[in-house]
Amino acid sequence: MKNPKWLYLLVITLTIICLTFITLPILNVFISLDPENFKNTLKDGEVWKAIFTSLKGATFATIVGLIMGVPTSYFLFQTESKYSELIESVINLPIVIPHVAVGITLLELLNSNSPLGKFFSHLGISFVDTIYGIIIAMCFVSISYTITSSLMGFRSINKELIWTARSLGASPYQVVKFVILPLAFPYILRGAILSFARSISEVGAILIIAYYPITAPVLMYERFEDYGLKSSTPIAVLVICISLIIFIILLSISYRREKRIA
Amino acid sequence: MLEVKVEKRLKSFKIEANFRVKEKEYVVVLGRSGAGKSMIAKVISGIERADRCKVILKGKDISNLPPEKRRISYLPQSNTLFPHMSILENLEFPLRIRKEKFNRRKVEEIASQFNVKEILFKRPSEVSGGEVQRVALARAILSDPEVIILDEPLSSLDFLTKIKLIDFLKELKGRRTILHITHDPLEAEKLADRVLYVERGRTFYFESWKDFIERARGELPQKIKEFFPYRQQS
Repeated sequence: MKNPKWLYLLVITLTIICLTFITLPILNVFISLDPENFKNTLKDGEVWKAIFTSLKGATFATIVGLIMGVPTSYFLFQTESKYSELIESVINLPIVIPHVAVGITLLELLNSNSPLGKFFSHLGISFVDTIYGIIIAMCFVSISYTITSSLMGFRSINKELIWTARSLGASPYQVVKFVILPLAFPYILRGAILSFARSISEVGAILIIAYYPITAPVLMYERFEDYGLKSSTPIAVLVICISLIIFIILLSISYRREKRIA
Repeated sequence: MLEVKVEKRLKSFKIEANFRVKEKEYVVVLGRSGAGKSMIAKVISGIERADRCKVILKGKDISNLPPEKRRISYLPQSNTLFPHMSILENLEFPLRIRKEKFNRRKVEEIASQFNVKEILFKRPSEVSGGEVQRVALARAILSDPEVIILDEPLSSLDFLTKIKLIDFLKELKGRRTILHITHDPLEAEKLADRVLYVERGRTFYFESWKDFIERARGELPQKIKEFFPYRQQS
């Protein structure tokens, strides 16, 4: 059935509005950027330190998320029980909790006077105002993306490929290694990219549990509060540029892998 | 010799399969869609569990062995070439998992026999349906099974490719024990040493296609059902 012309026009218009809505603020921040200010920001050691802390925290948060998340999603893929839906809902909880509330709950759980905080203190790990606190907060708010995307990847695999591999002589471990993980890899990678992106942008939870060492979003917030837009915009531009470069590289790897499988 | 006794309750009927297949015979498992043919094949190959199951291969009870240890290669209906591997990597897969020393000559020899040598470096998405089936068969042979189960191997192919592949399958006769599942009587006529007819989970064994037709008294195979009680193998 052919779509009516007015519907087609409406869809096109809404798509253009949507794309403008997303790109306009980003383009505007580049246009309104004062070059002199930006030059000074590039020379600002504190900015680079904050960006490095953000990248370091997000990288570790993504790795921890992958280590915990991929086996969890594989477990959910393998065990279709009546509790699966409940477990999946629990996994998506971090997405719906306001991030300041995440910071408060994590601080409540991991402060140096709590039982868990004391336990980690014995291991020499403290979460308040340390990189560990940043990693935990970032991991908490982003792990759902890794799990959900990996689960989608596992579920997208044709079960007959798994049967074939078994009947060709592959053990369950070999099936995971040679068939399941390579086929789910683009989804896992995409989940990791989303997690990384979510981690980089986190500010609410980090403000509560680990204001220091200062991350890029927290620094942006601090500069905005203290000196206004002029001071925070160049940092925002720098962070956007770095994020875009990283995401374009990672997404192109993900698309290339997906194309190989298609 | 492959001996099979399977019982499995499904939603609308119960599978009660009971048959024997001699070594290197080409048995066509014929029956309508949903008759339970694929389920029987999956139970034999260890992919599905049954309520009761006895599978004896060459005198050895393999009923409780995992699929990878049964030496029964099951080729499901759809394209089961691993899409992330090249054709060559697909062919090498059974050797790789057995940690056999890389034997390119062996792979190329089989690839030549199955007429897929020209496409070794292509991806499964770049080859035709007939080539996919030939590669899947070659890969199954490389896994060195005692029995190969082909589940509707020709169902998704056009008529000409189907005829070509039937000729190709004829050449496999006598090399391995083959169970060829289909609902197409043409395939049974062209290929079967023996016919196993499946109707609502029950198996009926015929010495040959001719025997099957004679028993059907000239009627279409779908109507053969009423003659089955006289031919069920005990």
